[in-house]
This record gives sequence, C-alpha cells and structure tokens, in this order.
Amino acid sequence: MKKLLVLLMVFGLVLTGCSDSEKETLKVYNWGEYIDETVITEFEEMYDVRVIYDLFESNEMMYTNLLGGEVYDVMIPSDYMIERLILEDRIQKLDFSKLSNYDGVMSNLKGLDFDPKEEFSAPYFWGNVGLVYNTEVVSEEDLAAGWAVLKNPKFKGRIYFYDSERDAFLIALKTLGYSANTTVQSELEAAYNWLLDFDATMEPVYVTDDVIDNMIGGAKDIAVMYSGDATYVISENESLAYFVPEEGSNLWVDAMVIAKDAKNVDLAHKFIDFMLSKDVAYLNTAYVGYTTTVQEVFDEVTGTDGDYEGYDSYIPRTDNPLDEVFSYNENTKKVLSDYWTLVKAQ
Amino acid sequence: MKAFRNLVKPYLFWMGIFIVIPMLLIVLYAFTRQGNDVMTLTFTIDNFVKFFDPIFLRVLGKSLQIAFVTTLISIILGYPVAYYVANTKEKTQTLLILLITIPMWINMLVRTYSWISILSDNGFLNVILKAIGLTPVSLMYTDFAVTLGMVYNFMPFMILSIYTVLAKMDKALIAASYDLGANRLQTFLRIVLPLSIPGIIAGITLVFLPAVSTFVIPKFLGGGNYMLIGNLIENQFITVGEWNFGSAISLIMAMVIMASMILTRRLDKDVEDSDKGVNNGNGGVMYGR
Repeated sequence: MKKLLVLLMVFGLVLTGCSDSEKETLKVYNWGEYIDETVITEFEEMYDVRVIYDLFESNEMMYTNLLGGEVYDVMIPSDYMIERLILEDRIQKLDFSKLSNYDGVMSNLKGLDFDPKEEFSAPYFWGNVGLVYNTEVVSEEDLAAGWAVLKNPKFKGRIYFYDSERDAFLIALKTLGYSANTTVQSELEAAYNWLLDFDATMEPVYVTDDVIDNMIGGAKDIAVMYSGDATYVISENESLAYFVPEEGSNLWVDAMVIAKDAKNVDLAHKFIDFMLSKDVAYLNTAYVGYTTTVQEVFDEVTGTDGDYEGYDSYIPRTDNPLDEVFSYNENTKKVLSDYWTLVKAQ
Repeated sequence: MKAFRNLVKPYLFWMGIFIVIPMLLIVLYAFTRQGNDVMTLTFTIDNFVKFFDPIFLRVLGKSLQIAFVTTLISIILGYPVAYYVANTKEKTQTLLILLITIPMWINMLVRTYSWISILSDNGFLNVILKAIGLTPVSLMYTDFAVTLGMVYNFMPFMILSIYTVLAKMDKALIAASYDLGANRLQTFLRIVLPLSIPGIIAGITLVFLPAVSTFVIPKFLGGGNYMLIGNLIENQFITVGEWNFGSAISLIMAMVIMASMILTRRLDKDVEDSDKGVNNGNGGVMYGR
C-alpha cells in the first residue's frame, strides 16, 4: 500500500512537472549579450508562457543553424542577413496591426534597403563599426590617417580585429575608397590584398566577444568594435575612446523577424511588441549599451542626465554619405568567405 | 549463444543511422558541387583540388606539428608519472589514478576557459608576475598557449594507458633482472620500457588523434586567426557555409588519421615481433605472455 502511495506521489510530481512544459512556448534566437535577461522572465510572467532563448555569435552561424532545420519563432539578425532570408523565403511578413509600439521606432530606421516596404522586420538595435582606442597611446595625429591607422607600424601586435568577414572587408574596402557593397572583382581582390598585408605585417588578433573584457582590461591599444560594445567598454574604462573614420563605416540595424514556419506567430508578435515597448527598450539599452531604436528612449538616455549623455559612440553617425548599410549578394558572399578563410589561414 | 548475438543488433542499428549514413553523406558532399539539393547532383573533385593550396597545406602541416609536439610532451611528462604511480602501494595507486582522472569529470570547455583567465594579459599568472616585480608576458593567442591547452587536456589519456600496462607487468621479471646483475637503469631500459611500449602506443593514439582534430582549444587559446585543420573544417560549415569543401577536408583528415593509425599499428607489431625474437634467443626462458 505504502509503495502504491509513493508511486502515486511520484506520478503526481511528474504530472506537475509536465504542466510547465504544456505552456505555450516561444523560441527566440538572438545575439549573445544582447538583452537584459530579466525582461524575458517578465514576458513569461506577463503572458504565462515559456520562452526558449537561444544565442548565436554571427549572422552566418545563425543561418547555418536554420539550414540545419532548427525552427525559431523570433530571430534578430542583421540587415544583410534579413535581406537574404527574405530572398530565400525563410521569414514571413509581420502583421503591423499587432505591433502597437512600432510607431515609436525611429523613422530613419524604417524602410531601409534590406526591407524597403517595411514588411518583414522591426528594428531592435542599431549602430556602426569603428575603432576603440587607448587615448594615452594613440594620438589625434595617428587617427588622422583614418582606417589606415591599423597599418601604422607603431601598433604592430597591439590590435584586436573583429573576426567577421563582412566587417573585415568593410574596413579594407573603405580604406581603398570603394563601396562596402561592391561587386567588382578587382576591388574585392584589392581589399583581399590589403587584408593579407595587414595580417602579415601587423600581427592582429582576431576576436569576437572576448574583445570586450580584453579592452576593458587594456590589453591592446586599438580594437575594431561595434558602437554598442564601444559604449560599454568606454563606460568601464575611462582611458578609452571611440573613433569612426571619415572614409565611411557600416550603418547596421539588427531587427526582429518571424520565421516562415514559426509555430507561434501570435505570441511572436506579442514578443516583438513587448521588446519595442518603452520600458523594456530602456532596460535593454541600459543593460547592453547598444543604441535603442525607440525614439523616446533614445531621447531620454542621450538627453541631460540620461544614462548615455556625452557618449559619442551611443549616437551612430547619420550625416556621412559614405556610411553604408550592407546588402546581400550571393556571389560576393562566396568570394568574401573564401578570401577571409585564406587571410585567417595565412 | 545465438540468442546473445541478437543483443548486438540495437547497436548495429544505432551505428547504421548515426555513423554509416552520416559518413556516406560526407562522402557525397565532398564529391559534389555547392547546393544542398539532392535532386541536382553534379559530381566534381574540385573540392579536393582546392585543398592543395599552399595555404591550406600549411594549416594541415601546422596541425600535425602541434599534435606531434603535444604527444611528445605527453610521453615525456606522462611516463614518469605513470611509472611512479604503478610502483606505489595498491591503495595509493587507486587514489593517485583518481586524482589524475578528476579533472576529466569537468567539462573540457570549462577547463579551457579557465586557462584563458590564467594566461590572459591581465590574468592570474600576470598578476602574480607583476606582484613579484617581473615584467608581465603575453601568452594568450600563441603556439605555447595552444600546446599547453592540448597537453593539459590530453595527457591523462597517456598516463592512464601507460599506467595500465606498467601495473599489469610481472614484477618477477624485474627481480630476475636484478638477480642477473643488471642495475636499475639497465633493468628499466631493457625490461620495463620495452614491455610498456604497447601502452605508449595506445597513449599516442589517444593523444595524437584528438590533438590533431580539435578545434575548441585552438579557438579559445589561439584566437580567431589561429587556424588548425579542425578550425578550418568548423569554419567551412559554420561561417562560410561551404559544406562541400568542409566535407572534402574532413575526408582528407580522415585519411591522414587512418594513415597514422596504420603506422602506429605497424610500430606496435614490429615491437612485438622483435620481443619474440629476444625471447627465443634467451634459450627458452619465456615470460608470461
């Protein structure tokens, strides 16, 4: 009898354990260190659902995982990858009537080239790419060279370079005065040679997220970084500053999209709307340091006594025509990938 | 007896689905052109030709070199440890072997991460160096860091396989050697070492193979530009999206590994054969083989 009781109790436990997983679930796929995780809990409690939150390191890695058959409801890739996902019919149109907070998104981020008719994506964070440098070592004169400061022999072995083919080629192409979206083979080849030479002469270290802690610790003098990460490291180490060369940079937007075969489309819309709400957007930007896409929050944090008052890196440059948004081109992508492998393998 | 044979079937089924089919897929990918569509297969050997670029060959060379150094260091450092452990009391042996295996209970990723915080420019080691007034050294992202990480991760396998052989060795042989007037060095060189070679060879297989194909250790301790063959393959699959080229490199890698296994096997066999020769020449003095 006793045994039966225990058995029943165990059974009961298993059942209550199960009830949790019977809740509606939402699968979200986002960059690492890109959210204040308390907002996920808040969302779960608000709608009594379960969120499975997964992380990726690069747009390419995210894409490969999708190819592998993984299905997410909400994903937050960058502009050129969204363009590719639209092109390959992997994401669905958003129902903007369900996104009441979308009106609050900064107007300069709406209808960019990767989603010109504002159909598929809702901007989450935005920014550009620049150099974080140690003001005690790198002088104004050094910086006058623009991106070419990366080839200044003074900084040999003192450079962190972001391990991303698009950003690497952005820098090389901009230095040479070409468009970041060029499809001209000779220009791509010139950029490839620039990178080969850079790799051989400057002994850079290629990093991803580990650059953040390393720069805060002052391990090297110059690092290629995204503006949001720059804001964070500068807030942690006062001798650092951010610089975006006049030759142009990449203006990027990471936006929320819903997969074509998403299981929970309705909840996905609720999540996107939730992320765009003023309070949540504030929590996220205050936590990760990237630039919010919600106008009201942007004004608040950059205004007097705001969290990011006086941080140049928090306000992406919008008045330089040489700053470009990446676009996707299947052929160029292949060429760049191959070149980048060769540079790294050198 | 026949009924027992059926017990193998679940594993055969498992192996078929998770080993044989994926292997066939790798071969298929390696010999076809880009495009994951099975309906439009075009066969090619371009993926293999592409690999024979000096840059990629250098990556392969470097992987073999690092793995070789790792294995060598593991033998040099691991052998004395195994020898020492095998010659302690049985209870102590159990304890020492436990101590050697304990780190392996912790996930390899975590252990490799901890090396980052030890070796990095503002890490544990440099803080100590600074505290005692020495100049800090930059260790991360170097051959040294990668080799260190590999030796640290794989040496236990070497110690364990040498230890197993040494512990099982017939102690009477050593006593006999002393009786016949050999000193300690002679006994070690002529009795213990030759008898432990199968253990060393097993250790080489267990250390060299993972060392030549690992990608996590070079990625963490060597940085994004530290490319060994494992990283090259990972890179082709994860970032570049060239599954065909990645598969071709995997196949080439498999062949290199197969070749090195055949080589070590042969080495093992040669040793055994020559051992037998010695025994026969000993006028019929046989030891327990």
